[in-house]
Amino acid sequence: MDIELIEIRDFLASHPPFDALPEDVLATLPKRLTVRYLRRGSKFPPEDEKTPALYILRRGAIELRDRSGELIGKLAEGDTAPSACDDRRIQRGIQGTTSEDSLIYLLPCEVLGKLRAEYPDFAAHFDQSVSERLRSAIDSVTERGPIAGTSLMTVRVRDLIGENLVSAAPETSIEQAARIMSEARCSSLIIMDNDRLRGLLTVRDLRDRCLAAGLSPQRPVSEIMTQTLHTTAADTLGFQALLTMSRLNVHHLPVMRDGQVVGVISTSDLVRFQSANSVYLVGDIHKAEDLKTLVATARKIPELQIHLVASGATADQVGQAITAVTDAINLRLIELAERDLGPPPFPYCWMVGGSQARREQSAHSDQDNALLLAQAPTPEQDAYFQQLAAKVTNGLNDCGFVHCPGDVMASNPQWRQPLSTWRNYFEDWIERPQPQALLNASVFFDLRALHDPEHLFESLQREILRKTSENRIFIAHMAANAIKHRPPLGFFRNFVLIRGGEHDHTFDLKLRGTVPIIDMARVHALSAGIPDVNSLERLQMVAGSAALSRDGAANLVDALEFIGTLRVRHQANQLRAGEDADNFLSPDSLSPLERGHMKDAFALIASLQETLGQRYQAGRFS
Amino acid sequence: MKNDVLLEARRRWTIYNLPFGPLRDCYSHPLPRANLDYRDTDYLALDLETTGLFPVKDQILSFGWVPIDGNRIRLEGARHRLVRAAQPISADSAVIHQITDDQAAEGEPLKDVLADCLRALGGRVLVAHHARIELGFLAAACRQLFGQEPLLRVVDTLALARRSLERRQQAYRPADVRLHALAEHYNLPQLAAHNALSDALNTAQVFLAQSAYLDTGKPLLLRDLLT
Repeated sequence: MDIELIEIRDFLASHPPFDALPEDVLATLPKRLTVRYLRRGSKFPPEDEKTPALYILRRGAIELRDRSGELIGKLAEGDTAPSACDDRRIQRGIQGTTSEDSLIYLLPCEVLGKLRAEYPDFAAHFDQSVSERLRSAIDSVTERGPIAGTSLMTVRVRDLIGENLVSAAPETSIEQAARIMSEARCSSLIIMDNDRLRGLLTVRDLRDRCLAAGLSPQRPVSEIMTQTLHTTAADTLGFQALLTMSRLNVHHLPVMRDGQVVGVISTSDLVRFQSANSVYLVGDIHKAEDLKTLVATARKIPELQIHLVASGATADQVGQAITAVTDAINLRLIELAERDLGPPPFPYCWMVGGSQARREQSAHSDQDNALLLAQAPTPEQDAYFQQLAAKVTNGLNDCGFVHCPGDVMASNPQWRQPLSTWRNYFEDWIERPQPQALLNASVFFDLRALHDPEHLFESLQREILRKTSENRIFIAHMAANAIKHRPPLGFFRNFVLIRGGEHDHTFDLKLRGTVPIIDMARVHALSAGIPDVNSLERLQMVAGSAALSRDGAANLVDALEFIGTLRVRHQANQLRAGEDADNFLSPDSLSPLERGHMKDAFALIASLQETLGQRYQAGRFS
Repeated sequence: MKNDVLLEARRRWTIYNLPFGPLRDCYSHPLPRANLDYRDTDYLALDLETTGLFPVKDQILSFGWVPIDGNRIRLEGARHRLVRAAQPISADSAVIHQITDDQAAEGEPLKDVLADCLRALGGRVLVAHHARIELGFLAAACRQLFGQEPLLRVVDTLALARRSLERRQQAYRPADVRLHALAEHYNLPQLAAHNALSDALNTAQVFLAQSAYLDTGKPLLLRDLLT
């Protein structure tokens, strides 16, 4: 066996399903391949290829279209084309073109067949049910497996340090070094000679060894830096780093990875991490006496998301934690408003909708809320609620929960109504469903009472659920809405990406990933008359009903957790890099393995949308 | 040489004077005809690692070859063979091809490797990048071991690259027609340089790309590719 085709073997080894093959088998594979080159704009599969084979894209890009010419997917490096080995019709159904000059490997079907027969893990890629693959994938995105909460016991040093390494050369003057530290707003400075770690300068060194000692600030920094250094590794657990620091009585440790300094961890990083814990935040919020304090606490929410993700939290855990903080801020704003304005003229219920109701918020969610009044107000009484709503919604806006773009807020008189009016609203939506109106109103079908001392909400909710579960036309309309946003997956299990514009070559994880599942969960819950609003709980509650099988529900739960977790992780990376969080993910940023799982999740959503559509004959209304 | 009739006559005439052996076997295959469609022709991409550039004084250290059937590379036939060196390898050249004396000592006799290479070449067109070097070394080795030079049809990917640039009246630097520059130009993956097999594969891939680019839908004949 020639080992010179190592490069090709390594390529295969890093892409699923080949990563599941033992090394000695992988080593024999390159010799079984045929290589073809297709110019940009060539037909795919090539017409002069007579024997069916598995196509593996080595270099380039291929667009796949269905018979009507609609773009259904795109193959990127490392992707395999739908296997013509199972069914030659698949191959004939593709009308692909190469969108770049492409180099393609062909693996004969006969070899593929043998591998599938012999290696179950490899075969699983082709015949394992989508759901099984997905379930095992969830653990892999939550980096270190499912972990409840966040603590220094589980977080790694590398996730606590910033991206930028601030350093200076030993001959830098003390004054210059101080300026660098002040500009970078850091309490320590790494001293590097070319690529070698030479020392560490801290604020304390500046004080004790320069200012207090009367040393000229024009002297080189090497005269006052600490030279004998203890370091820590990037993979060290947070609490171990903390133990090291207290044992050595130092406040800073350079962090090393592969022999290179990658940053500095300080005791304040560790303390800050602890304080970003949602428990600490909620405690601070309860004690806050003014808006300014609340705003300062709310600023830590992005940090909370970063740390939760870093310590392996799932999307659900992140959503629950962030919503807990939002709820606390919202409640405290209501308390502060009532303290300013005096007690309300009569009882009311502060309702929240959308992601806050579902306990599925992430950093940068907007607000949706409404007021349910115990009775019809006089103009004077309405003025009170008007002021209360304005104070709370503006306060939320200041805290980063921006005003709802659709004005679904308690400050809008339309959404500040007594029970009788709310009843009429819902009756109208449910019994005379108009598609456009329903779209806007869908936020009200995820509704939760946040502040409701007199329990006004229960009777409204009971009535809503009775009506929705009895009204098939309404459910059909909701179902039609729920299947409007299709996952970005072509017929051949390839990503369909946004093209051009600001989000070129990405897909929208929220609109095309989590929203379709959340929408489906809502339809099932309303149809079954279930009061839960959290999507996972809704799916668990309806599992095993006529509308949704136990497997179907479990699969949707897994898909939601997987996509949601990729989403919070994507956002955490953005927040950590100092960018605004969004939902636009490029498939290139996923590992080949994750890309495969992503496709599985999308395929699963699409098939359950299909089922939902058929069940409620949603097509009639869409 | 692009004239099929002349070349065939020469082959038949030479074969009478050749002793039985690998070279004669190679001659016994008719040479691919120049007016064949290029996709109906078989090729063998070959790369040699040598101690220098001069066949008279330098020696072959390794062979790498990859068969190409029309417009497909068949990796099944890919081979990498080390040759047992007759003289110590100079430090300068070892830096480039990274073949040490120890490794070269484990190689096979040149005669065996050459015989296998000729067998693989039978009926195929030789494809090489800057083919003069490969041809020169093959000729010298065959003359020395079998008393006669091989008769070959040759496609030189370097010459093809130059031709297409010159046809477009484009100025170019020598670096632009190196194997790795061409691979990049055609969006091909870069395989490690200076291993005879990976260079042969690089050459084969560049050849696929070049012929795909020359193939405009009108008949493209082997004649149009030959050096």
